[in-house]
This record gives sequence, C-alpha cells and structure tokens, in this order.
Amino acid sequence: MAEAALYSQITETDGVAGVALETAARVLRRGALLHALLAGLMLIFALLASTRLVPSLYDLAQQLFLLSYGGASDAALAIVIIFSLVNISALLVIMVSVLAREIWALPGLLVLALANAAVLLVLGYTPALITVIVGAWALVRLLRAPNVLRVNPVMMRELRGRMRGARAFVVMSIYLALMSGFALLLYVIFSTASSLNASAATGQIGRVLFAGVVGIELLLIIFIAPSFTSGAITGERERQTYDLLRTTLLATPSFITGKLESSLGYVLLLLFAAIPLQSLAFLFGGVTETEVILAFLILTITAVTFGTFGIYFSATQPRTLAASVRTYGTIAAWAFIIPLVIGFIVNIIQAGVFGNANAPNAPGLEALLQYVNLLLTSTNPFATAIQTQRLLVEQQVIGLYSVTLASDGSTIPMISPWVVFATLYQAIAAILIVLTIRRTQQVDVNS
Amino acid sequence: MANMAELIIETRDLVKKFGNFTAVDHLSLEVPAGSIYGFVGPNGAGKTTTMRMLTTLTRPTSGQAWVNGYSVTEEPRAVRRAIGYMPDEFGVYDDMRVWEYLDFFAACYDIPEIERKKLIDDLLALVDLSHRRDDMVDKLSRGMKQRLSLARTLAHDPSVLILDEPASGLDPRARIEIRELLVELARMGKTIFFSTHILADVSEICSHIGIVEAGQIIAQGSMDDMRAQIQPHREITVTLRDQEAVETVKSLIGSVEGVVGVNEMEPRAGRYRLRIDYTGDDEGVAELNRTISGAGIAILGFAEETKDLESMFMRVTKGIVT
Ligand SMILES: Nc1ncnc2c1ncn2[C@@H]1O[C@H](COP(=O)(O)OP(=O)(O)O)[C@@H](O)[C@H]1O
Ligand SMILES: [Mg+2]
Repeated sequence: MAEAALYSQITETDGVAGVALETAARVLRRGALLHALLAGLMLIFALLASTRLVPSLYDLAQQLFLLSYGGASDAALAIVIIFSLVNISALLVIMVSVLAREIWALPGLLVLALANAAVLLVLGYTPALITVIVGAWALVRLLRAPNVLRVNPVMMRELRGRMRGARAFVVMSIYLALMSGFALLLYVIFSTASSLNASAATGQIGRVLFAGVVGIELLLIIFIAPSFTSGAITGERERQTYDLLRTTLLATPSFITGKLESSLGYVLLLLFAAIPLQSLAFLFGGVTETEVILAFLILTITAVTFGTFGIYFSATQPRTLAASVRTYGTIAAWAFIIPLVIGFIVNIIQAGVFGNANAPNAPGLEALLQYVNLLLTSTNPFATAIQTQRLLVEQQVIGLYSVTLASDGSTIPMISPWVVFATLYQAIAAILIVLTIRRTQQVDVNS
Repeated sequence: MANMAELIIETRDLVKKFGNFTAVDHLSLEVPAGSIYGFVGPNGAGKTTTMRMLTTLTRPTSGQAWVNGYSVTEEPRAVRRAIGYMPDEFGVYDDMRVWEYLDFFAACYDIPEIERKKLIDDLLALVDLSHRRDDMVDKLSRGMKQRLSLARTLAHDPSVLILDEPASGLDPRARIEIRELLVELARMGKTIFFSTHILADVSEICSHIGIVEAGQIIAQGSMDDMRAQIQPHREITVTLRDQEAVETVKSLIGSVEGVVGVNEMEPRAGRYRLRIDYTGDDEGVAELNRTISGAGIAILGFAEETKDLESMFMRVTKGIVT
C-alpha cells in the first residue's frame, strides 16, 4: 500500500524500452521496500531489547543479519539499521535514475551491488543479498534493452547555459573571495592573539583556520544550494518554457533529475574549488586527512539534501519566490529551530533529573536522552561537524564508541553524529526526490 | 463514421470550466487531415484553452478530444508524439544558441544524437535561419524567434501542428513570411491548426475555418462552404444622376425575381445611389443591368460589393457578443 502511494504514477515511458525501464524500476523499489521492512523490524527489536523486555533480541539480530561482526550486539543492531537506510536511499535514487534513463544508472547499480557484496563478505551483513539480487536483476534487464539509457538533455542544456558567460565565474569568485577573506581574517586575529600568548601552538592555528573555513563554506552552501534548485521548476513556468517541455516526450523523472544534476553539479564544483583553501590548514599542522574527508562529506550531503528541499518546493509552489521562502523556512525549522527547542527541553529534563547530587537510578531514561541528543545534533550540519571533530580530536573516535551511564555505570553504544547525519540526510534527499516527481506529475495532471 | 479517418483533430462537446466560468462550452471541432484550419475568434473566446486541451496541457472538464485518433486524456504520450505545439508566448531560454535550442528539444523527443546535427541543419534551412545557427536565441528578432519556434515544433516530424496566434505581434513582412511557411508546411503534408483573431490570415491561406465565440463554435467548414453559407445574397450599388431616375429604377426592378430589397442610400457628391440586395447568379446581375439601361436611364455606376471576411465575421458573431 505504501508502495502504491509512493509510486503509482511515477512511470512515464512507453514501448519495449519503457517496459524494460519499468521492470527494472519495479524490482529496485521492491528491494527498497524489503530493506524498509527490515529497518522497521530492527527498530522494534531495538525498542524491545533496550527496555530489557526481550534482551536476547540484540543477539538474535546480530546472528541473523551481521553474523561476522565481532563487536557488541547492540552496536550490531545499529549498524544493520544504518546499512538498511543507506540501501533504501541508494535503491530509490537509482530507481529514479533508471526511470529518468540516466546513463549513470548502470555504474550506480554495479557499485551498489559490489559494495553490498563486500559488506556481506566482511561483516556477514546478510540483507546485502537483497540489494545484490535486485541490483543484478535490474542490471540484466537494462542491458537486454539497449539504447534506453542516455545523457540527460535537461542537464546538458542547463550546464551549457550555466557555464556560459560571466555568471558562473562571478559566483565562484565571490564564493572563493569570501572564504579566503574570512580565512585571512581568522589568521590575523589568531596570530596576533597567540603572539601575546606564546603557548598557543601552530597546530591550533591550523585547526582554527580549518574549522573557520569549513564553517563559512557550510554557511554559504546552505544558502547557495537551495537557491539553485528552488527556481528549477518555477523558473520554467515563469519563462513559459515549461509547457513546451510538457508537450515533448521528456518524462518527469528525466526533467527532475536533469535539474538536480546540473545545480548540484555546480555546487559540487564550488566544494571542490574550496578544497585547496581547506588544505592550507595542513601547512600549520593540527589537521588530519580524516577531518578533511569528513568535512567534505558533511558539506556534500548538506548541499544535496538542502538542494532537494529546494526542488521539492519548486515543484509544489507556483512562483520561485514562494518556493524560496518555503525552502529556507523549512531548512531553518528543520536544522535550527526545531532541534534548538527540543534540545532546550531535553537539557532542562536532564538538568532537573540528573543534575543534582541524589540523581535517580534511571539508566533507561538517561540512555534515551543521550540518543535524543545524538539525533538532535545530527539534524544540524554545524553541530554535526563540531561534535564529530571533537570526538575525533579528543577521543580519536570516527564511528562507534561507548558511553558510560552515570546512573548505573553500564555502557551504551554511541555513534559519531556524522554517521547519523549522513544516513538521515541522504534518506530525506532520496524520499524528497521521489516526492518531487510525484508532485510534479500531480500538478501537471490537475492543471 | 466514414470520415473518422480523415479527421486529424476531433472534439466532441469539449468543456473547460475555470471555477464557475466556462471558457470552452460544448465545443465540437472537426479538422480534416491535410487542411490549413483557421481557428478564429476574438480575444478571450477560448482558443488558447481549447489548444491547451488538445496538446494535453490541460484536462477537459468534460467532453472528448482526439488527435490523430488518440484520446488526449487516455493516451497523452501518443498525442504528444503526433503534435507540434507553438504556444502564444515564445518560451525563451535566454542562455542558448539557436542550434542548441533545437538540439535540446530534439533530444527531448528522443532523437538520437547522431541524427540531430543533420536534422537541425534541415530545420534551419527550412525556416531560413541557417545563417543565425550560432547566434544567441534572445538576440533574434521576433519574426525570427517565431520561425525558430516553428522549426522546433517540426523536430519530431509530427503530423499536425497546433499553433497559437503564430502571426500576432509580427510586422507585416514577418507575418507574410510565416504565412508562406505555413503554406509550405501544408504542402509537405502537415495539417495546420492555428488560431488567430486576424481575419486576413484566414482569408489568405486557410482551407478550413472555425469561428469561435464565448467558448462556442458558431460556424465551421471549408472556406468555400462558409462563403456560400454566410453570403446568401449579393449587394449591388447603382449610381444615378437624379432622384427621378432613382424612382424609375425602383419601380422597374422592385418586382424582378431574386431582388429582395431596393434601398436608397445617402446621395454623395450630387449623385444618387441605390442598393439592390439580390439572390440570383451572375447572369441575373447582367440582366438587371440590361433592364435598367434598356429603359433609357443613364447609369453612372453599377458595382457589386464583394463581401470580405470581415463583414462575414461581423455578421456571424452578431448577437453573441454581449
Ligand atoms: N487558467 C485560467 N484561469 C481562469 N480563467 C482562465 C484561465 N485561462 C483562461 N481563462 C479565461 O478563459 C477565457 C478564454 O481564454 P483563452 O482561451 O486564452 O482565449 P483566447 O485564446 O481565445 O484569447 C478568458 O476569459 C480567460 O480569462
Ligand atoms: Mg489566446
């Protein structure tokens, strides 16, 4: 039923090629659905097990789905859930790319299937079989119908237009100039401060510079990425070119992915262009490659997900202005206001319950609050970046670690927030892409 | 349904409502294959709305429509394959070259890349824009943009072109060029269904015409049929020297068969004029002339008013305009 609600209208192809595309897409989305069922089951397991109702469920999950993993069984459950979510999103995105007849659907499928096979071999992640089978099936189906995949015409057109003339160059220059200026400012301030205070190491200058550059880059990206996408569909309507496109044989999935590829492609270019600036921090030391890679990952995922916010509202709103307002409003609410408010409430509870000397022995509540905090941190890219870096620098933690509860001294598994952030954001992006296509088709049909 | 195969566009009781307002009101069109069909009506008559339903852009509130035998609501993709649509607004991608514009739309119609280059060359030659191949689209004049638009509608070799006001806003020269292009395309076997509120367009090139007013079809058919249908009698103006001659002629031909009215007109420049409404043929007109001159009356002028489309249009739409 959920399947019908999400996809009933998405296909828009015909002929022999159309049949191949639809079959492949259907197989992929069944795979996504299976992973979703599994993730739901694991969440129920986690709830039952963490409340100590049926503690053996942790072990059961590990023995069934992550059989070669040597770590704790509660951590194993978290890993299974994360893998499932990543698989859902990847399968949905590839399904859309198949319907959009994207040429990269083939390598995408191949990489996804191989990655899953690798995880299956190394960790014994048995649900990988779903993706491997489904991926191979779709791959064969697509290869048997040649010439259905092609370079997206919308992407080509947009990129040609975007890269022509001064605009692309000007945006890039302003962006780099802002970041360089900011980095220089930080350097001047910090080096004057540290010349007064001789104990400050150059390593610290490096770290401050890096954090400063990544911070301002994140801020710029949060503004730039949605600005490219929120006009994607409304812009065509306003220029009266949308009707022209709709009378062609261009299918909605191709239109949407073409728009996303071109705008996010350009944003990705901006991110790559800033890497040398980030790497300046290497000169001063104190920054590791891991930090640079994680920062790039957080930046990219932020750009992609907030970009899909933009295109979703571009599909549902009649005008670019309305779409932009809604996009930025939703981003502000989702990443800043809501986590701040809930975080505030959580902190009050935490302080009230555990803040005094005779704290109650409530490990369940304490653990829950820890996880809520993790989730809240992971909704905001800044908080995610800061917390991830702190864990990395102070505890050398990249992924899983454990936290000792004050209540009873027991330990619970924790994950560095970037993992949760990445999983959450890419799942949202995948779902928004599917919804955007659906909404575009609905608006078209009802007009 | 013998004529079904010959109709490339057919609508039956097509209705489109916007809220309480009925923009298209039980409209039934019949556009024969191979025709140049002029869809004529004043602004706000519902021409654009009808075309948007035919091009699958808007769903009819009720009624049915077929293009090339495919239902616009049931088989929209088959309809899109069969039509080339030019809206009344030129859709501008301001950041494209002329060839890129055509290349993009050809790609949207799934034409493989290897075939597109030759296709673009052919299309540009057809609309006489080969020399502007590498210019930016927004640098073209309005007439050129319109021709480029027309080239775009031809990219996938559709059997019917649906053109919304193709000549509006053009200077006279560009308008003639577009007209000639339409005739050329009809010769190539395309059916051309175009809307206009300019009657000159229709009388020059159309083989068929449909007159629409307030969302309803008032008259439609081939141009020849329409002329005969709308113009059942001819008007002859006779110019005479004095009032006496006028009275004589009146009494002389008032009773001739086929004469349905003899009216005095305002004298002009000292000359007296009579208007005769006559339903007979050419032979009868000559006979009238002979009758008058045979009675010894000096005829200063004997002229038949050829009724143009303008007056035919006015006559047909009279009473419906509110
Ligand atoms: N989307 C719409 N919403 C409300 N009214 C509309 C809409 N589109 C057209 N109309 C109305 O329908 C009538 C017919 O419009 P249109 O089809 O554009 O006429 P034409 O093309 O013959 O000038 C007009 O009165 C117009 O105001
Ligand atoms: Mg109009």
